[in-house]
Amino acid sequence: MTATGDRVRLALKYLALGLATVVSLFPFWWMLDTSLKRQVDIFSGASLYPQHPTGDNYRLLFSQYHFAAYLTNSILVVLVSVAVSLVIGTLAAYALARFELALRLNRLGLVAALLVRMIPPILLVVPFYIVLSNLGLLDSRLGLALLYTGINTSFVIWMMQSFLAEIPVDIEEAAMVDGDSRLTALRRVVLPLVAPGLAATAIFSVINTYNDFLIALTMTSTPSAQTVPVGISGLIGKIQIAWGPMAAAGVVGALPIVIFALLVQRHFVRGLTLGAVK
Amino acid sequence: MATITERVAARRAERRTATLPYALLVPAAVALAAVSVYPLVSGIRASFTRFRYGRIVGSAGLQNYNNVLHDQTFWAAIRVTARFVALAVTVETLLGLLLALLVVREVPGTRFIRLSLILPMTVAPVVVGVIWRLMYASGTGLVNPMFAHLGLPMPDVLSHPGTAFYGLVLVDVWEWTPLLFLIILAGLQSLPQDPIEAAAIDGAGPLRTFFDHTLPLLSPVLFVGVILRLIDAIGTFDQIFVLTRGGPGTATQLISIYGYNTAFNFTQYGKAAAMLISLLAFVLLLISAAINMMRRSARRTA
Repeated sequence: MTATGDRVRLALKYLALGLATVVSLFPFWWMLDTSLKRQVDIFSGASLYPQHPTGDNYRLLFSQYHFAAYLTNSILVVLVSVAVSLVIGTLAAYALARFELALRLNRLGLVAALLVRMIPPILLVVPFYIVLSNLGLLDSRLGLALLYTGINTSFVIWMMQSFLAEIPVDIEEAAMVDGDSRLTALRRVVLPLVAPGLAATAIFSVINTYNDFLIALTMTSTPSAQTVPVGISGLIGKIQIAWGPMAAAGVVGALPIVIFALLVQRHFVRGLTLGAVK
Repeated sequence: MATITERVAARRAERRTATLPYALLVPAAVALAAVSVYPLVSGIRASFTRFRYGRIVGSAGLQNYNNVLHDQTFWAAIRVTARFVALAVTVETLLGLLLALLVVREVPGTRFIRLSLILPMTVAPVVVGVIWRLMYASGTGLVNPMFAHLGLPMPDVLSHPGTAFYGLVLVDVWEWTPLLFLIILAGLQSLPQDPIEAAAIDGAGPLRTFFDHTLPLLSPVLFVGVILRLIDAIGTFDQIFVLTRGGPGTATQLISIYGYNTAFNFTQYGKAAAMLISLLAFVLLLISAAINMMRRSARRTA
C-alpha cells in the first residue's frame, strides 16, 4: 500500500519538477530558435527548431545595430567598475571583519553597504542624473563606471565580509608572529584562502553590472556609451519589430551571463540574499 | 599564561589605536557615499526646487510634494504597483514553497533542476523582455496560438488593458519564483530535522507536520525572502519598460515607470524627485525590517 503510495508521490514529484524545468527553459530555447531562423521562417508559423539555420541575424546586429560598440562599452564599464570595487570593497570588508572599530562602525558599515545595495535604482536615477549632468559626465563610459563602482562596492563589502569571517583568525596571526605585517599577511595568507569567495563575488558583480538597464538607459544617449541591454531595448521598442535580430540580441545579452551563472551556482543563494541565507 | 594575556592585551591595544582599519575603510566609504548620500541630498534638494524645461528656476517649497499628492495618475500608479507586487509576490512565494518542499530531499537531477531554475532570474531583465516579447507575439509567438488552439479568444496579450497586467505578472512569476524557491530550499535544508521527524513518528500527517513544525521553523528565512523580493518588486522597471512602457493607456504603469516618465519624458525633475523620495521613505521602512530579520536569522543559524 505504502509502496504504491510512495511511487505515486515520486511520480508526482518528478512530474512537477519536470514541468518547472520545461517552463523555465523552454522560453530560452524559443529565443535561440528564433535567432537562428530566416525572416520568412519566423512568419511561416511556429516551429520548434530552425529548419534553415542561419547566422544572418547575428551579422545584422554587428553591421546595422552598433552591437560591437555596445559590447565594447559593456565590457569596459564592467571590467573597470568590478576591478575597482573588488579592491576597495575587500579592503573595507577586511577592516570590518577583523578589527573592533570605534563608533560601532563594524555594524554601521555593513548596514550602510546593505542599504545602498537594497535601494531600488529607480529611486536614485533622478539624483544620479542631476549629479552626472553637473559633472559633465552624462553619456560617458566614465560616468557609468563611477556609478557602477559605488553600487558594486556595497555588494562586495557585504559578500566579502561574510567570506572573510569564515577564515580562522589564527592563521594570519601565525603569519604575523612569523614577522609579516597585517597587509602582507592579508595578501600572502588570507587572500589565497578566500579566493573562491572572491571569485564568486567578482562574478556576481559582473552579472549585476552587465545586466543593468535602468542606469545605463538614463545616463547615456548614444552608442558611444550605451551598453548591451540598452542596445537590446532599442530593438524591442520599435513598432516594426525585427524579430530575428531582436532574438539574436537577446542571446548575445544572455550568453555570458549563463556561462557565469554555471560557475557560481554553488554560491547563488548567498549572493542573492546578501549572505542572509547560505 | 602571562604571555598569552600580554599578547591579548597587545592585540587589544593595536585594535584600539591602529589607524590601518580606518584607512582601509576610506576608499569604500567615499565610493558608497558618492552613490548614496550625495545623490540623496541632491535628490531631496531637487524635490524642493522648481524646474522648467529641465532647468532650475527657483525654490518650490512644498509645491512638488503637493503636486504629487493631488496627482490622480500618481495614485493610479501606486494602486497598479500595489496590485502587481501583491499578486506577483504571493504567487511566487506559494509556488517557490511548493517546489522547495518537493526537492528538499535531494532527488537525482537536483543540480540540473536548480540550474535551469536559476537562469530566468540571472539573465538581464531586458533579455527577459525579449523572451516574452517573442512568447507573446501575435503572429510569431507561442502563447497566443496556444490559446487559439484551445478555442479561447486571445488576441495580443500585451496590447489589451485587461490582459497586459496579468501578462506582466506572469513574466515576473516566471522570472522570480526561482529566487523564493532557492531561499526557501536553503532554509528547509538547514532546519533541525528532529522535531519534524518526531512529529512524523508520533503519527502526525504531512500537512499537520508542515503547519505545526516546518512552517514556524522556516518563517525567519521565509520572511527574509519575501521582504527582499517585495523591495525588488516595488522597483520593477526594465521588463515593463521594454514590454509595455506602462501601457496600454496606464494599465501597467507602475510607480517606477511613472517616475521615469515624469523625470525623463516630461522633464519635471522636481516632481519626480518628490515622488521618488516619498517612495524611498516607504522602502527604507521595509529595508530596515529586512535588516532586522536578516540579523536575527543570521544569529539563529550562526
